[in-house]
Amino acid sequence: MKTTAQNLFDLSVTVNGTRYEQAVEPRTLLSDFLRHELGLTGTHVGCEHGVCGACTVLLNGESVRSCLMFAVQAHGREITTVEGLGTIEKLHPIQEAFHEAHGLQCGFCTPGILTTVVPFLEQNPHPSEEEIREAISGNVCRCTGYQHIVDAIKLASDRMNK
Amino acid sequence: MSNSSVGQSLPRPDALGKVTGQTRFSGDLSRPGMLHMKILFADRPHARVKHVETGNAQAAPGVMAVFTARDVPVNEYGLQIPDQPVLCGPGSDKPNTDIVRCMADQIAVVVARTESEAEHAVKMIEVDYEDLPVLTDPLQAMKTDAPILHPDRGDSNICVHYKIHKGDMDAGFKSADVIVEGEYHTPVQEHAYLQPEAGLAYLDEEGRITVEAGGQWTNADQSGISHALGMPDDRVRVIYPAIGGAFGGREDLSVQIVLALAVWKLQQPVKIIWSRRESIVGHGKRHPITIRAKWGATRDGRLVAAENELIGDAGAYMYTSNKVLGNAAITSSGPYFIPNFKTDVYGVYTNQLPSAAFRGFGAPQALFMAELQMNKLAEKLGMDPAEFRLNNALQDGLTMNVGTPAPGPVSIIQCIHAARERFQWNKYRRRRTKPHIRRGRGFAAGFKNVGFSFGYQENCWAKVEIHGDGDIERVIVHHAGAEVGQGTHTVMRQVAAQVIDYPAEKIQLHTSDSATQGNPGSASASRMTFMAGNAIKGAAEAALAKWKTEERPAIAEYKYLAPRTTPFDKETGHSTPNFSYAYVAQAVEVEVDIETGQVRVLRVVSADDVGKAINPDLVVAQIEGAIVQAHGYAVVEDYRTENGRVLTDQLSTYLIPTIRDIPEKVDSVLVEVPDPNGPWGARGLGELPFLPLAPAIAAAIHDATGVWIDEIPFTPERVLRALGRIR
Ligand code: FES
Ligand code: FES
Repeated sequence: MKTTAQNLFDLSVTVNGTRYEQAVEPRTLLSDFLRHELGLTGTHVGCEHGVCGACTVLLNGESVRSCLMFAVQAHGREITTVEGLGTIEKLHPIQEAFHEAHGLQCGFCTPGILTTVVPFLEQNPHPSEEEIREAISGNVCRCTGYQHIVDAIKLASDRMNK
Repeated sequence: MSNSSVGQSLPRPDALGKVTGQTRFSGDLSRPGMLHMKILFADRPHARVKHVETGNAQAAPGVMAVFTARDVPVNEYGLQIPDQPVLCGPGSDKPNTDIVRCMADQIAVVVARTESEAEHAVKMIEVDYEDLPVLTDPLQAMKTDAPILHPDRGDSNICVHYKIHKGDMDAGFKSADVIVEGEYHTPVQEHAYLQPEAGLAYLDEEGRITVEAGGQWTNADQSGISHALGMPDDRVRVIYPAIGGAFGGREDLSVQIVLALAVWKLQQPVKIIWSRRESIVGHGKRHPITIRAKWGATRDGRLVAAENELIGDAGAYMYTSNKVLGNAAITSSGPYFIPNFKTDVYGVYTNQLPSAAFRGFGAPQALFMAELQMNKLAEKLGMDPAEFRLNNALQDGLTMNVGTPAPGPVSIIQCIHAARERFQWNKYRRRRTKPHIRRGRGFAAGFKNVGFSFGYQENCWAKVEIHGDGDIERVIVHHAGAEVGQGTHTVMRQVAAQVIDYPAEKIQLHTSDSATQGNPGSASASRMTFMAGNAIKGAAEAALAKWKTEERPAIAEYKYLAPRTTPFDKETGHSTPNFSYAYVAQAVEVEVDIETGQVRVLRVVSADDVGKAINPDLVVAQIEGAIVQAHGYAVVEDYRTENGRVLTDQLSTYLIPTIRDIPEKVDSVLVEVPDPNGPWGARGLGELPFLPLAPAIAAAIHDATGVWIDEIPFTPERVLRALGRIR
């Protein structure tokens, strides 16, 4: 690890395709780094404990909980947050499905669910309903009752396979 | 109409920002030069604060200021009565504001350049406490010799007492062939909205103290803040960013007053984000209520008398206990006609966290009792529980327990029929799978008032602008009603679109800003679709009329006034307390593992009379969400305290349902019996599906195992104990 005089670490990380070189305190959480240093507030923090899944992001394409990682653990790697999945003008098919099929209410859980579902559907493009339920079993939603989330994921998988 | 919008399942306009991470919740906001705040909470449930030593904290690196009770101009707040100090400690003018009454009380706030500096400094504040006796049980606290928690508010801890009394109880019970008596216990429930409290405050371009933090009623937040700061309302502005769930838990203030205080003193933007622990300890909860009941019926299945006593733990402060317990009083008869009726409802101050509004607002507790009483009576009479309910259901013209008829049309009978049919209740066959797995079915019903009433003149403001020349080019709706996730912004657009015959997705919405909009009322009591729907409909119709007379732009404001209501008579409860009710019935099937005590809910059929589904998909989404939350209440969630301290203060200890802990199938039946006063007939919905689930599950557990469980939640431990398998 390279540390500077004030015990800062020279972090180099690619987030949503942009390379960032930034000195960070070694104890900075990845969630705080994304939200406060980079202003990527789409990554939400609901429990700070790894319980709710709201803070999920992709690290080299895999879902991880950013509240359980230090920013320095992402050194040299690639992160995708919800902002990197698609834009309002050009939605990712999963975002599109959540919009159309009412896969959210307050939307606080949504970014973490989307970043959980993206690699899931890549690995399992034709999931059964049971597999969908398993895939999101670590994401807490207090509003929807989950059924519309499951329906949105089904819609996304149908669309992506066309 | 070409742009017919009401009744269509249009997508939510707010979803685009929410799926792309562009939506800003209060914790996502920032401003240049922003400072960070941390709050010192009380670390004991009942104590006098003798001294708060802030010297070390003031001198800590990065600290800009430390505020205590002395710094709050009018050191009190509260949605119904101002009985809680903003900051507890010596030095303010109000009496007894140096007393800490629960762990949610705040002692001091630190404002620093960074969040970690504030966090560091807050630990350096030293508080000298004199401990006082801790009252955790309302039954103890209501005794005459109990220490008084609010000495300046009378000589009793009983802060609410409602009486409803009609008919002749003795004669009623004498005519009964069967009588069921029971004692029921309902638990605390934590809202656990996924977004913890947060806020940003600053001075706007006109120098107003502006607070951006999620709430449920902009104007109430504004006047709570301005009261504590001793300022006129118009010096304070409240704006709602996106709100990450509320369910009643954001009705009372949390971070708003201290943020405003800091901005006023420091003239710099200040931000705070609560941790999950701060959120759980820092806001109110669902009222736990102990209920005793005695109900009688005749052999042919007619209710003749019911007598109840409900004792609710109000916690340390009033919050909305007076309103919540008023609803509990009304719903304590269930949606039935009972000729002789008596209910006493008490709210009692204790040193627990305050009890507050939570989806259902007193009705889930009262209905847990009423519906179990109905199921037990049906069993004793050898009658089908759905049939027994139909025999006694309220109908148009029959008087409610408050001595006046419910505003019609009363649709509980339609809901019971609808739930029964969809479930195929009469064809139900119990399937056996394994010897230790028992299945059963249960039925329950419920009803809920729409709006805050009890003599309060319900009102709601809206403004609509139509711009263009020959053709309409732009429609703007102004409304401050809180979008807490329920979809009200979608409904608002659909209402205006329908009236103006203009595409809903093109309507611009100006939302939740107390500086530019009139009073929306609260996003609670299942009232927003009804009230905002009527207000926007009125404003849109008026704007359209102006448009047709060539006024350009055509702009109209409208204030909808709901039909009048009256408060409870002090002795009898006689009143016309509400202008609208909505009705629900549910049938469920459960599976009980008699070896592990595990309860699985296999199927829920929920028949909800929404009057008119303005957006059917959103209605179904509300039903599914409410049922899963009610399932959490009934089966999963297990809030624990010890001597006034919260033990389950994280999402790792206070477990809420994941997709693995929910009913396997939720089947929503939309009943649509229009309310003549509702917009296109709409009633209220948000709370309705929550109400009967716990008693329906209890009835199904009984059907499966033969035991009644009169206390929520139905945890494995409690089920095994009821089955006599453990002590
Ligand atoms: S905030 Fe990371 S899992 Fe909840
Ligand atoms: S939509 Fe609110 S938490 Fe999932």
